[in-house]
Amino acid sequence: MKNFLPLIITLVVFFSACKNDDSITDTVEPTPSIPDFVMAGGETTIFDITSNAFATPAPNLTPANFDKHLEGDLAFEQVFVTEPADVNPGLGPIFNNNSCVSCHIKNGRSRPSLDGNELSGFLIRLSISGLGEFGGPKGVPFLGTQLQNRSVFGVEKEATFTATEIEEIVSFVDGTQVTLHKPEYSITSSQYNIPTDIMISPRVAPAVFGLGLLEEIPEEDILNKVDENDVDGDGISGKANMVWNIKEETKTLGRFGWKAENPTALQQTADAYHQDMGITNSLFSEETCFEQEDCNHNGELDITDATLDITTFYFQTLAVPAVRNYENETFQKGRVLFEEINCSSCHTPKQQTGNSSIPSLSNQTFFPYTDLLLHDMGVGLADNRPSFEANGQEWRTPPLWGIGLMPVVNGHTRLLHDGRARNVTEAILWHGGEAEQAKESFKQLSREDREALLVFINSI
Amino acid sequence: MKTFKSLSLLFLTGIIALNLSSCNDDDSPVVPITTEKADYSGVITNLSNNIIVTTYSDLKTNAEGLLTAVNVLQDSKTEANLTAARDAWVATRAPWESSEGFLFGPVDTDGIDPALDSWPVNRTDLQAVLDGNDELTKTFVNSLEGTLKGFHTIEFLLWGGDSNKTANQLTDRELNYLVSTTEVLADDASTLISAWQSSGGNFVSNLLTAGQDGNNVYKSQKAVLEELAAGILGIADEVGNGKINDPIEQQDVRLEESQFSNNSKTDFTNNIISIQNIYVGKRNDGLSKVIAESDANLDAQIKNEIQAAIDAIQAIPGTFTDAIPSSSDTHDEAQAAQESVRTLQTTLESKLVPLISNL
Repeated sequence: MKNFLPLIITLVVFFSACKNDDSITDTVEPTPSIPDFVMAGGETTIFDITSNAFATPAPNLTPANFDKHLEGDLAFEQVFVTEPADVNPGLGPIFNNNSCVSCHIKNGRSRPSLDGNELSGFLIRLSISGLGEFGGPKGVPFLGTQLQNRSVFGVEKEATFTATEIEEIVSFVDGTQVTLHKPEYSITSSQYNIPTDIMISPRVAPAVFGLGLLEEIPEEDILNKVDENDVDGDGISGKANMVWNIKEETKTLGRFGWKAENPTALQQTADAYHQDMGITNSLFSEETCFEQEDCNHNGELDITDATLDITTFYFQTLAVPAVRNYENETFQKGRVLFEEINCSSCHTPKQQTGNSSIPSLSNQTFFPYTDLLLHDMGVGLADNRPSFEANGQEWRTPPLWGIGLMPVVNGHTRLLHDGRARNVTEAILWHGGEAEQAKESFKQLSREDREALLVFINSI
Repeated sequence: MKTFKSLSLLFLTGIIALNLSSCNDDDSPVVPITTEKADYSGVITNLSNNIIVTTYSDLKTNAEGLLTAVNVLQDSKTEANLTAARDAWVATRAPWESSEGFLFGPVDTDGIDPALDSWPVNRTDLQAVLDGNDELTKTFVNSLEGTLKGFHTIEFLLWGGDSNKTANQLTDRELNYLVSTTEVLADDASTLISAWQSSGGNFVSNLLTAGQDGNNVYKSQKAVLEELAAGILGIADEVGNGKINDPIEQQDVRLEESQFSNNSKTDFTNNIISIQNIYVGKRNDGLSKVIAESDANLDAQIKNEIQAAIDAIQAIPGTFTDAIPSSSDTHDEAQAAQESVRTLQTTLESKLVPLISNL
């Protein structure tokens, strides 16, 4: 074998030289001094500050995987209709929306909705007290674990919802005031009896880029940061959610969803097809309306495993946008403050992947600003709806990468699980529980320091 | 969209460190502008006002014309009135298809694209609605999914599933639905132009003031040029590798987008015209102006390839539907058209986009 090595090197050199000669883009300027954290997605990073920042294939895909990615893009945009149909049948009968991209517009975040009659990228999870079949949330009789507020024609939708907002004024130490808005949702006009102990958890659709990298963080790296009883006494615990893994038929580490309810990108995709669109698949073969009349379940799966795989592959292999403004002094000051007031305790800047079956994702150093663990975020942000190990006050640390590109990608800056925060400042002010001290430190910062912190957060 | 390869590292030194204070909810603070290499105000202003806003304005005007035509058809369902309504649909479709080279901003973030142009039509639900007893008001139609309204639902009603509908076959409920769904389309077209205009949502200001304080959407003029370049690349990709490719590759006429009206050749042409509009501008003041300054040969090549793609699409004899089967006499021409669009796409991807990224 080793005899071949010089030949390979020669070929590589020859090939590179060849490529340089032919290159139509030989205007590449040297880039020697980029700090590692700028490459937010490691070698999957792109430099894009347009509306396509979350919707570009990772630049290091092999040609075959690049083609596969493009195929997955089509599946992600596929619009489902009521069966029977020549093209894309299987929608519903009850659903929240009719394509992946209609909630994850440009692969970004959705806005909250206060009106359950409108088609939106927003939904409500449901449960009653007790445990479901595999230790997860227990579904509401007839309604299950998610409210489907749309239906195909002729089928009753499950219910709709309304919301009112309660205002709360918060003051910074320097006297600046911010008015926070807390939405209170209620289920209305349901054909089914709504139990008095119903628990509801409103959710916006998160951005979908970079999930392949998050999936490839070795489990032990995540579990190493668990400090459930706060042994180190820093006020921050960090808890792993252990959730039902359908393929492995056992509980494994949860990584995806606002409470880390799904263990893999594949299961997350299958769950979304099933719950959000009523598209049955090999992981979730029963229609979401299975307890209801008029369910019309024909027993056939609406999509094949090939479609499920390719959609999953699509978002696993999206590029991550690079950090901006990093040479700016304000950014650098904000970066220091992010550490000083302890944002970085949970929003862990740096992660690394192990070996992946997708070569582009292997052994990447990347910067998502999450530990993927659950943290108690206090009463103010609580949904009071447990999910597996996550209690009603615990949320998974969401990644912060790309947050500053939301205005160009999605035309809004709504944050947190239910989109209640109008911007980063409000999102920080909603932090409580384990993050109470970090929030208090933020409130004590001068305006200048707060702005530096925001510059940093909006640039990563 | 978004199916093209990003040429990441090329972009790096062009990144401009801007972070601007906000309007609305956004709380990003003001940071001094570090650099802006050149002034592209002219190109951006011309394309924003003379191409983008004008195209959306045409869409609104023509949608109102379509509404008038379907109202006339409802009052008197003659063949002449059906033909006039179909012509009005084609006329409304034109500005929409020639807006698909700039599918960013409100059309996307406000959910207008799915409301106007969802595909396929949900024929099962549409038939159930027509067979049912609901009052077919604008409010009712507006509450339905995009697959039950917009261009293709109107197309289906005007031409029929087999493209051979006659005026006297139109039922009262079909006509009611047609009028209501066209009212929704006209409203959506109105919402779209309003979202761009300074008198409304003023999205246009994000382009016009790119790189200035207070603009948190486009943090540099170069970012706008990149957005525009990505937009035309995206539609070239969609026409070459989606709209023409899917029915041909899978040998399935059901995958043709405007299959009821046989309007596909016109759709494809208008898509390429949207590329031409953004590239050439109204008076040679589009992206071409930026490219010509650094590479006149490339500029000429892009212009030629745009025209070649339009010509090749027009050169397909008969309908695109007829050209789909590989056994068809006209299949070669359809494939040639696809190749010419792909040639343009490759040039935009490998030359135009990198050049703009390196500005």
